Amino acid sequence: MIRFSSLKENLAALDKILLCGVLLLFFSGVACIYSAGSGSSQGGNYAYRQIFWFCVSLCAFMAALIVGYRKFMDFTYPIYFTALLLLGITILFAPSVKGAQRMISLGFIGFQPSEFGKIAIVLVMAKFLNRYPPLNLKTFMGGLLVGIPALLMVLKQPDLGSTLVYVAIILSALFVAGAPMKYLLSFMGLGLAICPMLWPFLKDYQKLRLLVFIDPMRDPLGAGYNVIQSRIAVGSGSFWGKGFMQGLQSKLRFLPEPHTDFIFSVYAEEFGFLGSSIILAVFGLVFTRMILTGMKSHEIRAKILVAGITVWIWFQTFEGIGMSMGLMPVTGLPLPFLSYGGSAILSISIALGLLGSIALESVKPYK
Amino acid sequence: MLDARDIMDVRLKFLLYGILTTLFFLFAGLYFFQIVHTDKYIRLAYNNRLRLIRVSPPRGEIYDRSGLPLAVNETTFSIMGYPLDLDKPYMLSRISQVLSNHGIPVSDEELAKTVKRQRLAPYQVIRLVHNLTMVQMAELFADPEFPNQLFPLPVWRRVYPSGAIVANITGYVGEISENELKNAADSNYVGGDIIGKGGIERYHEEQLRGVPGEEAIEVNARGRKVRTIDSLSSKRGDDVLLTLDTGAQKKAMELLSDYRGSIVALDVNTGAVIVSASSPTYDNNPLAWGVSTKEWHEITDDEGKPMHDRAISGVYPPASTFKALVALAALEENIITPNMTFTCHGSIQLSNRVFRCWRRGGHGSLNLTGALQNSCDVYFYQVGMKMGIDRLLKWVKKFGVGAPTGVDLTGEASGNAAGPEWKKANRKENWYQGDTVNYSIGQGFLLLTPIQLARVYAAIANGGYLVTPHLSPSEFKEPVSIGVSKEKLAVVQRGLDYVVSRGTGSRAGRFGVQVAGKTGTAQNAHGLDHALFAGYAPANKPQYVAVAVVEAGEHGSSVASPMVGEILAHILSHPGEKDDS
Repeated sequence: MIRFSSLKENLAALDKILLCGVLLLFFSGVACIYSAGSGSSQGGNYAYRQIFWFCVSLCAFMAALIVGYRKFMDFTYPIYFTALLLLGITILFAPSVKGAQRMISLGFIGFQPSEFGKIAIVLVMAKFLNRYPPLNLKTFMGGLLVGIPALLMVLKQPDLGSTLVYVAIILSALFVAGAPMKYLLSFMGLGLAICPMLWPFLKDYQKLRLLVFIDPMRDPLGAGYNVIQSRIAVGSGSFWGKGFMQGLQSKLRFLPEPHTDFIFSVYAEEFGFLGSSIILAVFGLVFTRMILTGMKSHEIRAKILVAGITVWIWFQTFEGIGMSMGLMPVTGLPLPFLSYGGSAILSISIALGLLGSIALESVKPYK
Repeated sequence: MLDARDIMDVRLKFLLYGILTTLFFLFAGLYFFQIVHTDKYIRLAYNNRLRLIRVSPPRGEIYDRSGLPLAVNETTFSIMGYPLDLDKPYMLSRISQVLSNHGIPVSDEELAKTVKRQRLAPYQVIRLVHNLTMVQMAELFADPEFPNQLFPLPVWRRVYPSGAIVANITGYVGEISENELKNAADSNYVGGDIIGKGGIERYHEEQLRGVPGEEAIEVNARGRKVRTIDSLSSKRGDDVLLTLDTGAQKKAMELLSDYRGSIVALDVNTGAVIVSASSPTYDNNPLAWGVSTKEWHEITDDEGKPMHDRAISGVYPPASTFKALVALAALEENIITPNMTFTCHGSIQLSNRVFRCWRRGGHGSLNLTGALQNSCDVYFYQVGMKMGIDRLLKWVKKFGVGAPTGVDLTGEASGNAAGPEWKKANRKENWYQGDTVNYSIGQGFLLLTPIQLARVYAAIANGGYLVTPHLSPSEFKEPVSIGVSKEKLAVVQRGLDYVVSRGTGSRAGRFGVQVAGKTGTAQNAHGLDHALFAGYAPANKPQYVAVAVVEAGEHGSSVASPMVGEILAHILSHPGEKDDS
């Protein structure tokens, strides 16, 4: 734990480039949420709520930073079990929204356990693989089995997008922890092989999403409508974009869910290729700085932790931007930093807090 | 030796490269959509939100000579809704419930069918119910139960207050057909436009239609209007005022109510159509509102052919009414003089054929006026033979027989002036003298429409001028002189006067006005004889001419002549507010 007296000193040691990048992304997101909301009767109130969430998240970030990842590591298993418990409660008691149970209500706010599950699974993978490096088949399988319960519970909700994030976290943790490539490749090969067998278990809307991903014109006014309208929004942005608040696809509500799933489409329509490229570059910068943090750390578990967090954020970024162009199927995952959503921004902030504490620990001399 | 941490750093680096590669893929994707194919998506975005709406102008209205409305516009309402709203659970049964509470019985199954039929896109509006009155609409919207997602759409409807009485004249309107659209390619019509389908509505389409406006609006994803981008205002169509006298027309329809036939009345000097009745008739209101195929077939398959305007497209042998024309022609050709007499023994024999007079016992010795008064056939057989078909035909054509009169209605027939050339071409036979004999009493191949016959009698009444019948005063054309002497015309007029005052047409003179005219009984190969009467009044200073043709009416003297008398009396005793002379 960091002593409070040295807080100022510690903040000065944080990676400013990384933080600036994140803030830039976040406030671009707030602007887009504001713009997207101006077309609806609710006005820009999602943007104000997002700023409220920013304040909450900032506190969470500071808290995670001060507590430090080592303390989190000490309590990893209780955290993981709590997460599993919450996911279980969600499946059993949460109301079904659009056919999926994802939120549990805390009275005044909704809360998505699957988001906090992401932190838990990153922690548990780091802790377990640090203790049992996945160098032989037994420990490799052990590493897989640790993550599986959370993964299955998210799949049960059903939340296909988050499930894929969990898969990406587990695999990247195993990869960075030094698992032999033959294990990883055969596991991935096996996974791809059983994918077709999972088809009958998918819900109809999930099947439709995958089918319209292949051919949006299959259902141009239903499931394919979102993909087509989003692509129109992005494509009509051209080089310069239509300008802030000028994106008509979202103003006239052709674009569905403009403040959450399709926030990047709003951005791409208003800020064009130029603005979109800048966002991509900033994401690239953020990921680079995150990985560098891991490389600078001397601790194995910290490196695994960094890999998990980075892959988690990357996967959602790739999915979110790819989806806006119809290059990825629609999953409903929020675009990190940009999309509206309390749980998502909060959990990512905690993750960044942990990452920050890794950075601080690594610049400190050994005691 | 590599430490575990070093291996991990290598793997972290690989992870980073992988991540950056995927970001580059996204960059390439953005380049593809936002730079390479941006034109396509700009166009799609534009089409997404732009709707061009055609603003149909109110159609010009149609009035009769005294300002009575014959075709007017009435606002009705449709209830519209969006599929997104209608898809909500129990929405349709709720709508059905509210509608039945207000006396509009529509089951939710029917509504579901309507929605399904019109559903094209989630943002395209659907017409749930139509043809509601302003009162019904107001009541519905005042009902708190009425779903507020629905909204009214005002629609202009054509209404014909006199309906069936003048249906053959006003015609009706309807949605433009594919063929009409093709034929009117240069007239700025589009599918869905309303166009005149017959009668005045069709003939004066240009005048009535007005100029459609256009509105370019921006819509949101639900198709709701956000703002108007540009608009071009529409121009209301011009009204058409007719020379028709609806009162007299109604009278004519009453007289014809038990028959199939027609009554036409013209102003003898101008050709203005005062009455143009055709029986049986049909109500044109449902046609303008859109009828089902079944209802349409009920009208078109009717044996009485109610949509066939007998006044202008029914063709009949003129029979004895034709004798007035033959008489005038013979006088002009100097075949006869007014006092020259022929003797009627009841028939004449021509080679091996016998041509009888209607009066078997014969009329004895008759001059021209006597022959007209008694409608002696033998007299006109002899006149016809003396004159020959060529000279007869010349005069028939001078009176406009065999060509449309040019009245401003659609579907006018030409009739048939017949003659040797026509017979050769159509029957592949030579013209015999027997044909001439038949022709001279208006039988045989000769066919006239009631309006053509009225025009012939108008020329006799007005001193020898061929008028152009018209309903709209704007269609008035200067009457053309046929070139007959007043003295010779006066002889024929006197003969026609005798027909009513002391001859076969006496029943036409019982309505208080002095009528001159001629009866006719046309042989009908398909059934009972047709009854005809053509006459004008007042006899001494003719103002109006009227013709009655009653299919299977048997006797011109008893059935047709009182009709003409009554109509002429009606017109003369109810002068129109606007004088057209």
